[in-house]
Amino acid sequence: MRRRAGNDRDLLGGTLDLLILRVVRAGPAHGLQIAESIEQKSDDVLLVEQGSLYPALHRLEERGWIEAEWGLSDTNRKAKFYSLTRAGRKHLAAEESRFTQLARAIARVLRST
Amino acid sequence: MRRLLPWRRAARERDRDAEMRAHMALFVEQLIERGIPAGEARRQARVRFGNPRVRLEEIEDMNRMPIVETIWRDARYAIRVLARTPAFTLTAVATLALVIGATTAVLSLADALLWRPLPFPEPDKLAAIIRIETRNGVTSTTPALDGAMFEAVRDRVPSLDIAVMGGGGGINLVLNGTPVYARHSRVSEGFSRVLGVTPARGRWFNADEDRAGGSAVTVLSHQAWQRYFAAAEDVVGRTVLLRGEPHQIVGIMPAGFQSVDGVEFDLWVPLRASTSGEGGGDNFWSVTRLKPGASWTQAKGELVAVREDAFRLQRARSNVTRDLSVQPMAESLAERVREPIVLLSSAVMAVLLIACVNLASLMLARADGRTQEIATRMALGGGRRAVVRQLMVEAIIIAGAGGLAGLVTGYFGLQGLQTLGGQRFEQWSRAAIDGRVIAFAIGISALTSLAFGLAPAIRASRLNVARALTGSRGVAGKAYRWPRRVLVISEVAIGVVLLVATGLLVRTFINVRSLEPGFDRLNLVTASVSLRDARYNTTASINQFFDQSLQRLTATPGIESAAISLEVPYERLLNLGFRYADEDAADSSMTNLCYVTPGFLRAMGIPVKSGRDFSEQDRAGTPPVALVNEAFQRMYSKDRPAIGRRIRASGPEREIVGVVGDVKVRPSLGGPGMETGPLVSQPLILILASQTTDSFFRLVHTWFTPVWTVRARDTGAASVALTRAISETDPLIPVSSVRSMDGVMSEALTEQRLLMTLVGVLASAAILLAAIGVHGVIAHTVAERRREFGIRIALGATAADAVRSVSLGGISLAATGAVAGGLLSIPATSLVRSFLWRVEVSDPWTYAGVAIALLVVATVASVLPALRLLRLNPAEALRN
Repeated sequence: MRRRAGNDRDLLGGTLDLLILRVVRAGPAHGLQIAESIEQKSDDVLLVEQGSLYPALHRLEERGWIEAEWGLSDTNRKAKFYSLTRAGRKHLAAEESRFTQLARAIARVLRST
Repeated sequence: MRRLLPWRRAARERDRDAEMRAHMALFVEQLIERGIPAGEARRQARVRFGNPRVRLEEIEDMNRMPIVETIWRDARYAIRVLARTPAFTLTAVATLALVIGATTAVLSLADALLWRPLPFPEPDKLAAIIRIETRNGVTSTTPALDGAMFEAVRDRVPSLDIAVMGGGGGINLVLNGTPVYARHSRVSEGFSRVLGVTPARGRWFNADEDRAGGSAVTVLSHQAWQRYFAAAEDVVGRTVLLRGEPHQIVGIMPAGFQSVDGVEFDLWVPLRASTSGEGGGDNFWSVTRLKPGASWTQAKGELVAVREDAFRLQRARSNVTRDLSVQPMAESLAERVREPIVLLSSAVMAVLLIACVNLASLMLARADGRTQEIATRMALGGGRRAVVRQLMVEAIIIAGAGGLAGLVTGYFGLQGLQTLGGQRFEQWSRAAIDGRVIAFAIGISALTSLAFGLAPAIRASRLNVARALTGSRGVAGKAYRWPRRVLVISEVAIGVVLLVATGLLVRTFINVRSLEPGFDRLNLVTASVSLRDARYNTTASINQFFDQSLQRLTATPGIESAAISLEVPYERLLNLGFRYADEDAADSSMTNLCYVTPGFLRAMGIPVKSGRDFSEQDRAGTPPVALVNEAFQRMYSKDRPAIGRRIRASGPEREIVGVVGDVKVRPSLGGPGMETGPLVSQPLILILASQTTDSFFRLVHTWFTPVWTVRARDTGAASVALTRAISETDPLIPVSSVRSMDGVMSEALTEQRLLMTLVGVLASAAILLAAIGVHGVIAHTVAERRREFGIRIALGATAADAVRSVSLGGISLAATGAVAGGLLSIPATSLVRSFLWRVEVSDPWTYAGVAIALLVVATVASVLPALRLLRLNPAEALRN
C-alpha cells in the first residue's frame, strides 16, 4: 500500500523538517546519524520510523536547504552525508524563532484556566 | 528541473535505494556491535526502518510531471515497437532521409536565389534598368544597355544612382613575374556606392579613374587578397600587372562580398564606359539604387523624360517604340534562374509527396497487422486517445530520425548540386544550409509525420474492439482496404507525371545530341588564352603571337593541323551588324562574326561548299576577303549568290570569296527567320585575323578569349604541345583551359544534361516508391487471403490462377494510376515546356514509353509477392 506523501509531516506538524535541519547544522551527517541524533536529543520521545526521514531529506534537498554528498562513515561504509546550505541556515533561523513562539503560545494556552 | 526529467529517474532511484541500503547496513552493524545476534539485528533494523519501497514511491510522487512522463513512456514504447520491426523502421527512416535531404537541398537553392533578400543594405531599393521595346504590338524587355542609356540615367535622372557592369571574365594577373588567371569584373565608379558596400581596406575607385586616360587602378576581393597576396598588410598601394598594364591596388572589399548576381570575382577594374566601342552596343548591365526621399514613380517618370537622349544610339524604326523602366533587382535576378529552380522544386516536392503517401500506406499496413495488439490495449482500458497518441508518437519518431538524417543528406545533396550545376548556374553557389534551411527541414519532417501518421491513427481510433478480438479471418476485399489503394493509385499518378517530364527532357537531350555538328569533332583539342593585355593592342603584335605559336605547333610531330579563331562552334559567337557595300547604310542586319587564321576550316574539318577557302596569299595588305556560311546565304542573299558581293562589318570593305558549311553554335541572335533552340545554325561571317583593325581586336578581346585548335591523333600529347607552344611564345600569358572539342560540345549541353539527370533521378525515385507501394498492397493481400486461396486450391484451382488473380489487382491499380497521371501530365508539363526542343509536350512516343515502363514495373511489383502463393500448402493454410 502506498501512503500519501505528507503523512509524516502531518504527524509531526512539519517539525521533522525543522529537526533535520537543526541536526545537520552541527555538521554533515548521514541518515542513520540524523535519526539517532533526533532520538537521543529528545530522550527517545521522538522515535521516528527511520525510513520516513528519506522523503523529508529529499524534500529539503529539492528546496535547496540541504545538500548531499557520498562519503565514508566511521566504520568505513559508504553513506550519503547531508549538510546545511546557506539558504537552509537562513530558513532554519526563521523557522526556529517561529516555532519557539508557537510553542510558547501553545504552552500559554494550555497553562491557562 | 533537470532532476525532474523522467530519464534521470532510474539513476536517481538507484541512488536513493543505495542510500537506504547503506543506512540499514550501518544500523545492523551498530546493533551487532551492541551484542545482538545478526539475524535479530537485521529484523530490528527492518522494523525500525519501515518499508523502503513505500518511501521510494513517496519520493517519486513528489517528482511526477504528468505530461512529460506520459510522452516519455509513449516514446519509449514506440522505440521498442519500432525496434521490433527493424526492416520497416529502417526503410521508413531511409526513405525520409533521402526525400527530406533532396527537398532540403533544392529548397536551399530556391531560398537563396528566389526568396532571400539580396545581401546588400536596403535591398528593396535596388533595381535594374530595363528597356521595353514594342515591335508590331509585341513587347519584349531586356536589361542590356548601351553607353548613351547609361549616361542619360547617370546625368539626368536625379532619383536614381546607377552603376553599370560590362563584360568581365578571365584575365592575366602577373604577380612577381608569375602569370595567374584571375576572374575580373569591369564596373563603373558608382558600383560600391550603389550596392552600399565599401572596401574593408583602402578605397573604391573614383570618377576620375573611371574615365578614359584616368590612372589604372583595381580593387581586390577578400579571397584574391588571401589567395594571391597571403593577406599581406601592405597590399593597398602595391602595383600589379593586369592585362599587361601596371595597375595600382587601391582597396580590398570585405570578406563575403559578391557581385550583384552572386558571382565571385577576384578583382574589379574601372569600366570607363563611353558611347563608343563597347558602349556603342548593348553591352552593359545596370544596378541602380533609389536615392533617399525619392519614389519609384518619380524615378519612372524621370526615365521616360530622358527617353530621347537615352535611345540616341539606337536606330529609329517606325514600327518600334522604346522605353526605359526599372525592375526590382531581386526580381530581375530571379527571372534568370527561376525556371530550373521551379522545375526542380516541383519535382522534389512530388517525390516528397509520394514518399509520404508510401509511408502512410506502410503505416496503414502495419496498423492492420497490429489490430489485435491495439484492440487488446483498448480492451484492457487503454483509451482511444492514448492509442492515437501512441501511433502519432511512432510517426513523429520516424519523421524526426528521417529529418535528422535528411539534414545530413541535404548538406551533401546541395554540395552535389552545386558541383554539378555550378558551371552553368553560377548563382547556385550562393546557397548554403543555414538556420532557415534547417527550419525548413524540421517543418517538412513535422508535416510528413502528420501526413503519414494521421491516417492509421484515425483508423485505429474507429476500431471495433469486439470484432477485432474475435479474429474474423479475412476473405477477399474488406471495405476498409480502399484508403491504401487510393494512396497507391495517387503515388503511381505522381510518378507518371515525373516520368513524362523526364521522357520529354530525354527526348530533347537526344535531339540536341544527335545534331550534325557541321565539322569533324574527333581528335580536336582546344586551348584558350586571354589577350586582354596591353602588349597585344595592335594587329601586328597579335598576329605575330598567332604566327609564332602556330609555327611551333605545326613543327611538332603528330600535330596534323592547327589554327586560331576568336571562338569555336558550340559556344556563343560575337554578334555584329553588317551591310552590303552596295546597299543603304540604314539597312544593317545582325550576323555572327569570327576571325580565324587561314588553316581554320582545314583544322576543324568544315567543308567549303562553293568558292574558295582563305589562303596564305590573303594577308595584311592584300584585298580583304570574307567567307560566309550557308545560313548567311539563306538569310541574307537568297536571290543571288553571296560570292562576289562586298560587305562591311567592322573595318574595311571585304569581298565574299566562298560559302562554307554551317556549324552549330549557341544562339546569340534572335528575331524573325533566326533558328531557335539550344544549338542552332546562324548566319556567320569569317574574316582573317591578319585583315582586322587594332580597335576591333581590342573590342572583341574584352569579351572573348581566342581559341587555339589542333587536330592530332594523340590528343594527350597535343594538349601538352599546345600549352608548351603558347607559353614558349609568351611566358607571361597563362593558358586558361585546355579542352577537347568533345568537352566543349558536352559543356554546351550542361544545362540540358543537368536538368534531365536531376528530374530523371527524382522520377526513378518516385517510380521505385510507387512500385514499393504496389508491392506492399499485393504482399498484404497475399498474406491476408492465404486461407481463401488454400480453399480454392484445395477445391481444384491451380496456384497459377491464384497468382494471376492477385497480380492482376496490382497491375490494374497501376493502370488506373497511369491514366490519372497521364491526365495530370497535361497541365503539369507546362513546367518543362521552356526546356524542350523539337518535342511536343504531348509527344506520343514519350507517353507510350512511360506507359510501357510503368507496365513492366507494375507487373514485377505485383507478380513478385504473388509468387509466394506458389509455395502455398493448402492443408497448412487451412489448418492455421
